[in-house]
Amino acid sequence: MLKLPVDIYLQPVAVIATSEWRTAPPSEGQFAEASGAFRRLDSGVPGPAFENLPSAQIVRSAFSSIPIVWQLEFAQEYRGLGEALGQMVDVGEGSDWQIELPVYGAACFVAAGLMANLYPAPRVFGHGPKSVVFNWSQGADNLYLTVSADRVSALVSTPERIQKRVEFSEKDLLNPGFFLSAVQSARLAQPVQLQLKSSVPDPMVPVD
Amino acid sequence: MRCGRIRNGENLFRHCIHPISFRGPRFAPEKIIKIEERDGFLLASLAWERFVPTSKFVHDYGCRLAFGMNNRDRAAARYKEKNRKIYCGAYQLRADAVRALAAIEGIATADVVHHVEMGEIAHVDVRIVLRPGADLDAENTKTAIVDRLWNACRGPLRHVCSCEAATSPHPSAALITGPQGKYSDNRPSLLRLWSILRFYVCVFLCQRSLKDGQQ
Repeated sequence: MLKLPVDIYLQPVAVIATSEWRTAPPSEGQFAEASGAFRRLDSGVPGPAFENLPSAQIVRSAFSSIPIVWQLEFAQEYRGLGEALGQMVDVGEGSDWQIELPVYGAACFVAAGLMANLYPAPRVFGHGPKSVVFNWSQGADNLYLTVSADRVSALVSTPERIQKRVEFSEKDLLNPGFFLSAVQSARLAQPVQLQLKSSVPDPMVPVD
Repeated sequence: MRCGRIRNGENLFRHCIHPISFRGPRFAPEKIIKIEERDGFLLASLAWERFVPTSKFVHDYGCRLAFGMNNRDRAAARYKEKNRKIYCGAYQLRADAVRALAAIEGIATADVVHHVEMGEIAHVDVRIVLRPGADLDAENTKTAIVDRLWNACRGPLRHVCSCEAATSPHPSAALITGPQGKYSDNRPSLLRLWSILRFYVCVFLCQRSLKDGQQ
């Protein structure tokens, strides 16, 4: 039987300070140096003219670009997922809903891989002791990852039909990147864009 | 009159119980169907319209279901007031949606069979046999079954049992519209009357056959 880690540890998330922007908007160069947040589409397109923008606009743009709330929600959602998995294993001896310990270990391992790769926390449910199912939906379409003790299976469905089923072996389970790329290809569970760089519209549009 | 055969166009109902089909205060459609492995089958439970011919009968079944679950929890000394089972309503699906599960890779047969259980004459089994030797994850096949059955659902038919009238907010408010849309019983009155008469005849026949079986 495959031995997998059974605990999820939350990693600290760095929050970039923004208070100094309130009084003195940085120059374009400083901005790019600090975070790469603003960049030009190409050399022919002018970058944002900070001098001409009222500071209130800069502050609002800067705040909208810092996903502090996202980070908190993200961590809370994964904490909730960890608690839900814990409840599934501690639900009570002999209960129909109790999952086996190796399933719990595999589910925690997959959850840790999802979190490390910034996937939104999935919903979780079970079929009984032998598996845990992670689920994301986008509209009426669904992506499921069914995690057993020794394998992971993905299923993509629309209301009309099952579009895709992919199965991963015990060996693949040791390489979360492998099945996560399959998850991403389903385009239902895209990684959360936590980086400052990606959360800013490009090119920047002033906010009224 | 045959009471045992469930034809393709006939209506079946799946009852929703809080907190089983919920995640906290939110309804969780992926938790609406519970699949068990028993006697070589994958099994799930539904109720057949033949024996719950009107929404009143559908809801009476659901109220008895929650009541029975609470009683079993009490008997097993695991009853907690905050986790008590509350019937919230039902979703409708058709028998052919169940039989269509046979088209899923890895499934050999899928059928819906009348099977009186715990005194519930309307109870039907969804019976699925996996293809022997199929190199597919049976657990993922269960996920596929849950997904297809939910996607075949219409409703909800919300309900608040009289014993839960004081519960506020009642979890039935959290039920969402089924993927096939809302359900309305648009049978003409005469057909509805015929269904009720047939129900009483079928109950009589079933009780007689159960009695004969016991002797």
